[in-house]
Amino acid sequence: MKGLRDIALLFQRYTLQMLRNPVWLFVGFSTPVLYLALFTPLLKNLSHAPGFPSGSVIEVFLPGILSLLAFASGSSMGFSTIFELQSGVIERFRVTPASRFAILIGPILSGLTMMMVFDAVVVAIAVGFGFRVHFVGLLVLALLLALLATLMAAFSTATALLTKDISSFAAIINGINLPILLLAGVLLPISLGPLWMRVLAHFNPLYYLVQASRSLASGSLATAAVWQAFAVLVPMCALVLWWATRVFRKAVA
Amino acid sequence: MTLGDQGFDTGFDTGFDTGAIISTRDLRKSFTTKGGEVEAVRGVSIDVARGEIFGFLGPNGAGKTTTLRMLTTLLPIGGGTATVAGVDVARRPQEVRKRIGYVSQLGGADDLATGRENLILQGRLYGGERSTVTRRAELLMEILDLTEFADRRVRTYSGGQRRRLDVALGIVHEPEVLFLDEPSTGLDPQNRANLWEHVRNLRSHGTTIFLTTHYLEEADALCDRIMIMDHGRIVVEGTPRELKQQVEGDSVILSLHEVDGALERATTALGLEPHVRKMTSDGFDLRLYVEDGSVALPALLRTLDAVEVAIRSVSLSEPTLDDVFLARTGRSLRDAGAGRQEVRA
Repeated sequence: MKGLRDIALLFQRYTLQMLRNPVWLFVGFSTPVLYLALFTPLLKNLSHAPGFPSGSVIEVFLPGILSLLAFASGSSMGFSTIFELQSGVIERFRVTPASRFAILIGPILSGLTMMMVFDAVVVAIAVGFGFRVHFVGLLVLALLLALLATLMAAFSTATALLTKDISSFAAIINGINLPILLLAGVLLPISLGPLWMRVLAHFNPLYYLVQASRSLASGSLATAAVWQAFAVLVPMCALVLWWATRVFRKAVA
Repeated sequence: MTLGDQGFDTGFDTGFDTGAIISTRDLRKSFTTKGGEVEAVRGVSIDVARGEIFGFLGPNGAGKTTTLRMLTTLLPIGGGTATVAGVDVARRPQEVRKRIGYVSQLGGADDLATGRENLILQGRLYGGERSTVTRRAELLMEILDLTEFADRRVRTYSGGQRRRLDVALGIVHEPEVLFLDEPSTGLDPQNRANLWEHVRNLRSHGTTIFLTTHYLEEADALCDRIMIMDHGRIVVEGTPRELKQQVEGDSVILSLHEVDGALERATTALGLEPHVRKMTSDGFDLRLYVEDGSVALPALLRTLDAVEVAIRSVSLSEPTLDDVFLARTGRSLRDAGAGRQEVRA
């Protein structure tokens, strides 16, 4: 099928570009490792605080890091979109008969693949810190991470196409990212916060992922948090992908 | 060079009985900006014949790029109709895309990939098989003198090499029409001449070329037919030769010695001269439009002598495309676009 072929071609292209950019590879690997190395020790004494979920520090914190990585890798996608917009690459693709959906999703899938590689490395390192691996749980978690990353990447790409310049794009993305991050309980569990924060968090897709990720990482698959995460992320992801494809077709000038 | 059939699927035949490969009627586009509604293209009707190099000349902001972007499916058509290679652009953009090549001002080659990789990906996106596309890339690099750099990353290319790769990317699928947006911007004169050679070569193999430019020399040297655009409208259309013939007479350029009052005395006196049809000044340089330069010149010099204005130099020139633009709009093409930007959505 032509559409699938286009996706494969644009996936390959984007992956090659990333692999040839050593700076990007270095940053991609070092960010999660730094979180693990510089943040986990701070949490050691917190695990006895009231409201802190049960389980060792690394078991609460690692799923948060993985969720954070998915969120960050997705929402930063638009920066490369801006670059490719300004260097004329996107325009070049838009004049070809390549499927508009493929132009959008090719790079996103490539980003997802690389994120999974980084995630695997992070988990391997975390095992060294005492993290116990629940294999099936992590597989289901990978699925949820992919959903959130795709959702964010499609949103970020479409926003980049609409704003067209780096400063307004960065302002919008940062403005959106900060409240989402703070209200997701990524670094510290939201259960430590007051009631209004816990209520507000329920309007945040990242919150559902973080909740489900803690459950899945500890090996509990059949929890409310897990199905709620799927129920929130699947339709949101579909909706944003549809919107972003439309933006690619029309709004780009 | 052989640009023969290499197995690209160009879809169905629609028949091109009219002879025009690009045809627009009352094409329009306006944008909403902070300052209100801007009409970038206000009713453009063009017919481009198969196999010609058609140039779209005009100052920055004239609406050239906007028109080009509508014809290449990048921008929705605001009003009117456009047919490219027999296909209605508004109704079937996907079919248009299969038949055209487009090289934007930005180029858009991947810096981190080699020239060859860029060409192969592009050909594959147009639906070509890997083996076909690989051969085609080889051929194009040979034609455009890129073979030597084929396996170097584009990042290391010079401006001229990069531009030739951009053109190669635009014709990898053997389009019927190639659109070039300001192809020689940023090129030095030598590379520009070299690019023109390649463009003429493409035309001689049957490709129709539609280009925009704000370089008079480019339009004059390269194009079979040109259209001059200003403020979203067509000012004039024809072969460069025809257009220049419409401007009757010659122009005389007089550089005055820069002395206080000289300019005023000269313009007053020359304004009374029967030979002078029109006069413009740029500092102490005066440009006079006269019917026959060789007849008028002695009289003009005597007049200046009489009002005691000394001149540094005199030159006589035949009409240029700039004069055509000046005659039609009252402004010089070289100044018209200064400080304005092409309107983009």
